[in-house]
Amino acid sequence: MVAIRLEELCKYYKRGSEIIRALDGVTLDIDRGEFVAVVGRSGSGKTTMLDLIGLLLRPTSGRLIIDDVDTAKLSDADRAHMRALKVGFVFQEYNLLPGLNVLENVMLPLRYVKKTDDGRAHALELLERVDLTDRIKHRPSELSGGQQQRVAIARSMINRPSLILLDEPTGAVDTETAEQLVALLKRLNREDQVTIIVVTHDLDLAAHASRQIRLKDGKVLADERVGAVPVA
Amino acid sequence: MEMLRNIARRKLRSVLTISGIVIGILALTTMGAIAENFNALLDGGVKFYSSNILVGPPDGQSASLLPTSKIDEIKQVHGVAAAFPGYQFPAKPGAVSVVSFGLPDEILAGDPAENDWGQLKLTTSAGHYLTGAAGEVVLGDTIDKEFHKKVGDTIELPVRPSDAKPDFVNHTFTVAGILNVTRTAPDTFAYINIADGQMLLKDSLPIAIRSQIDTSQITEAIDVYGARGTSISQLDALADRINAQVTGVKAIRPSVIVNSFKSGGAIFTAITTAAALLALIIGGLSVVNTMFMAVAERVREIGLKKAVGATTRNIMGEFLLEATFIGALGGVIGYGLGVLITVIANGTTPPGQSTLFLITIRLTALSLGFAIALGAVAGILPAWRAATLDPVTALRNE
Repeated sequence: MVAIRLEELCKYYKRGSEIIRALDGVTLDIDRGEFVAVVGRSGSGKTTMLDLIGLLLRPTSGRLIIDDVDTAKLSDADRAHMRALKVGFVFQEYNLLPGLNVLENVMLPLRYVKKTDDGRAHALELLERVDLTDRIKHRPSELSGGQQQRVAIARSMINRPSLILLDEPTGAVDTETAEQLVALLKRLNREDQVTIIVVTHDLDLAAHASRQIRLKDGKVLADERVGAVPVA
Repeated sequence: MEMLRNIARRKLRSVLTISGIVIGILALTTMGAIAENFNALLDGGVKFYSSNILVGPPDGQSASLLPTSKIDEIKQVHGVAAAFPGYQFPAKPGAVSVVSFGLPDEILAGDPAENDWGQLKLTTSAGHYLTGAAGEVVLGDTIDKEFHKKVGDTIELPVRPSDAKPDFVNHTFTVAGILNVTRTAPDTFAYINIADGQMLLKDSLPIAIRSQIDTSQITEAIDVYGARGTSISQLDALADRINAQVTGVKAIRPSVIVNSFKSGGAIFTAITTAAALLALIIGGLSVVNTMFMAVAERVREIGLKKAVGATTRNIMGEFLLEATFIGALGGVIGYGLGVLITVIANGTTPPGQSTLFLITIRLTALSLGFAIALGAVAGILPAWRAATLDPVTALRNE
């Protein structure tokens, strides 16, 4: 079942008189529950593709359809609403708010959606899943890099999104922590049937994905399924 | 909660910013309290003179004396409903006048019935108003506090100066009542009856002519009233008719006196406005600066919030709320300090001197409302800048 469809998706930037084709006519489908690794050199368009799928950027041309919704027709407020409900983000630098404790950071996205269920209970449940129950009152500065990234992953799950986007999630942690994070992502992917798209230079991480998309100069150079087929 | 943490995150900067607003609102509160006090004084004048016509001697006559027969002549003018004689004397003759926002102590003699005609109604906090009996006095609130009198006590009026000549004359009056606070002229006045006023008038005349003048036939001024509900423009027209029909008097148009009071009030309103502008400049700029710095420091945070679903409106609201809170906090502290200063200053004013400050509900609303509005307005630009940040750029800001 197709969760995300990119049709001739382009993103161009202007730098002086030069046109930078960050993403240049990418067409692909991503099924629900896939674990996709997007790889490629710096400047290949990985992050631009992630930002487009995450509705942080608007494409120059082409179509992006998420859960059968043509995102081109959405207003900025609707895009924000869709981001809040359907997309979870995890960044290389964690991007936790220093003024909030672990629990508050995880609950941050709840502020921007109207939900009736108990967000706190869900946040505590997520923190238990990422093994940080004993750190809920700690500030980000009191945590290791790996712990901060696990908080970021828990935060990305708080609104029960169907899609999690990760931008170099293991880029700032050591090898052992990176392996723990990969295991965690695989578990979330398997248990929650969440579609995961991870942009990475880390080939070890990419090797755990069920599908690898290699970009070069804004185009898809290779697209191969290397693991199990998606669960849904 | 996050807002408080954000403010507390840069303690010194926040304290300095809030201090800027505190100073501005403190200035607004204290200056405004002076203006309110003065305006209350002037409002009393406006109230009094917008309901009657003051009739005095014609231009060129040096002595402020009129025959009481003029009262009957004036009563014949169409539109005149009542006319009363009036006398006024300094309560403390020879006293050195000091710089004061209040009026000097005066003795006013008049018909007790006049109190039913004017817009400025005098009511007593103790005892009763004048009954017409000789030798009774009703004291205004300030003059009563000055002389520490209660109903039934006696008071010598006018007050004998320390360097009084041997021929200085004063009389003993019994305090019949004490007036409620009016915050205007009556507070420093001692009210006596007409006959006693005529007695004091006689005392004030030069010895050489004192015995030749029957002061019961003389008044210093005449207060003229139209029918109840007569407008100020109708009173102006009535004053013109008095001037046209009664010789040897000059009726002053009430609007002339009222306008002079109002123009005096306008000066103090200008002082309040200047204080408000001062608050705007000092406090507003510091809030703008602080909020811009907060936006610059929190670019990634803003990017993240947008990434997790915050709309432009959400971000704008968060920063505006923070700026408004800073304004409100500074406003409450500044207003509180201002009230404290005015209470201490009023409390230490010597008895008999008018207090300088008056805190009103209007001033409270202005000070706090202004502080809150200041914070909100000062926060608009920084909040807009934060809300319109490109999330992709913001997220990867170094």
